[in-house]
Amino acid sequence: MDNLKRRKIINYVAMTLASLCAAVGLALLFIILYNVLVEGIGSLRLRLFTQDPAPPNLPNVGGLRCAFLGQGLLTLVASIIGVPLGVLGGTYLAEYGRHLKICRLISTLSDMAVSIPSIVIGTFAYAILVKPMGVFNGWAGAVALAIIILPIIVRTTEEMMTMVPWALREAAFALGAPYHKVITSIVWRSAMSGIFTGILLAIARVAGETAPLLFTSFNSNHFQLNLNQAVPSLTVSIYQYAASPYENWVGMAWAAAFVITILVLFLNIMGRVIIKLKKRD
Amino acid sequence: MEDLLSVNNLDFFYGDNHALKDVTLPIKKNKITSLIGPSGCGKTTLLRCFNRMHDLYPNNRYQGEIMMDGQNILGDQVDVINLRNSMGMVFQKPTPFPMSIFDNVAYGLRLKSIRNTSTLKEKVEKALRQAAVWEEVKDRLNENAQGLSGGQQQRLVIARTLAVEPKVILFDESTSALDPISSKKIEELMVELKEDVTIIAVTHNMQQAARISDFTALMYIGSLVEYDDTATIFTKPKHKMTEEYVTGRFG
Ligand SMILES: Nc1ncnc2c1ncn2[C@@H]1O[C@H](COP(=O)(O)OP(=O)(O)O)[C@@H](O)[C@H]1O
Ligand SMILES: [Mg+2]
Repeated sequence: MDNLKRRKIINYVAMTLASLCAAVGLALLFIILYNVLVEGIGSLRLRLFTQDPAPPNLPNVGGLRCAFLGQGLLTLVASIIGVPLGVLGGTYLAEYGRHLKICRLISTLSDMAVSIPSIVIGTFAYAILVKPMGVFNGWAGAVALAIIILPIIVRTTEEMMTMVPWALREAAFALGAPYHKVITSIVWRSAMSGIFTGILLAIARVAGETAPLLFTSFNSNHFQLNLNQAVPSLTVSIYQYAASPYENWVGMAWAAAFVITILVLFLNIMGRVIIKLKKRD
Repeated sequence: MEDLLSVNNLDFFYGDNHALKDVTLPIKKNKITSLIGPSGCGKTTLLRCFNRMHDLYPNNRYQGEIMMDGQNILGDQVDVINLRNSMGMVFQKPTPFPMSIFDNVAYGLRLKSIRNTSTLKEKVEKALRQAAVWEEVKDRLNENAQGLSGGQQQRLVIARTLAVEPKVILFDESTSALDPISSKKIEELMVELKEDVTIIAVTHNMQQAARISDFTALMYIGSLVEYDDTATIFTKPKHKMTEEYVTGRFG
């Protein structure tokens, strides 16, 4: 009886502590969102999207058009590099390499890679792509982002494909299908919505990243989308504007933070909705 | 009566697990041969030797031969893809692919690079009619096959197999997951299909084996106990174990 009582108390304490932590986390999240919302909407102007940066002492001019485009370009190039590599890598782990020990190791390492701080990846990209070139460049930024999404996409692809029942593959083999056909026409098709969701969530994860871009593609105040040079970045601009002494710039940082938060939120919600819909049928 | 296949001294190993031991039996052309026996005796293992499904997994090993048209289909030089084209397989649970009803049936045809739309349409319809499911699906060929009922799915899978015109169809307890009416339909279908194909069917259901098969093989712990025409197996078997098994007194 004593034992039972003790367990009940421990259970109660643990539950209270866990709930408290969750409440604090959620409260902080909502305070941040609330601030971004209020300050962001208050400073939102159309010129944010239509004009390029202007000196801070001119009121009512200047925006971050080139930063939006630059950030989009970096994310796009990162996806072009990371998505095919990730999907094919995940496919290898789930299919051809499923019996190999090394593949289990790669899965575990990918799980770990998901939680490497993004600044570390930024530093790595700096070392291999910025230092040798001698200039900040867009390629380095895109590669850093690609390295971040790669393990996420590898693992979701692997998991989604592993969930497809073997009987379905065997049924296709039994009709005389070669393995690559089984993968492309049966397994990918069955796992498609899951893989797509994983890609979406991975892109959402890097769309708002600053740290990996700081030492790589850095930033530019000009409308310039040449990846061999520094590329304008929304997140780095937010970082710089927010830390500046100019009210005009700080306001713009809030507005830009608001826009990118909504975008990332939208991508995330879309991903969850697809998972929900898929689970229902 | 012609033997389409003859299994000669076949042994099979899952790694160290000796799952088939010196199995020898003929498979008669255009007949139904039933494989019966207690769970785990090796029926599925034997069935999957015919289309070399075991090749998909590492450490599996065949020993002995299965002869077809003067060739050992277990040989290294055999093109497994061709072999599987001539040996259709229907599993226990229906396995519709995640695509339309039409594309399911056309799957094997497209693998053989048949692209002509009218040829495809013609062959798909023929296969669906043969599998006795045409009337139920003809107005919804473009719908996803996974929306069909279990019994319809199983007949769709049979149609998909028939479309590539196999010589043999292997059934692995293909009615056991279905309701009695769907199960009955598949049974009747199997009997009709004898005209075009040779059938090897694993079943747990003694009545079903007695009703539909021409020949029956009883297996026990990897070995063949007795093979004969179905009437003999069920009325005057040579082995005591066979008698006990078919009358349900075994085990
Ligand atoms: N993939 C496998 N690996 C190792 N052993 C297996 C495998 N599949 C089946 N076996 C073993 O082979 C024997 C025969 O199995 P199986 O052919 O599935 O029996 P049945 O179909 O008659 O119920 C059983 O002892 C089973 O445990
Ligand atoms: Mg079995």
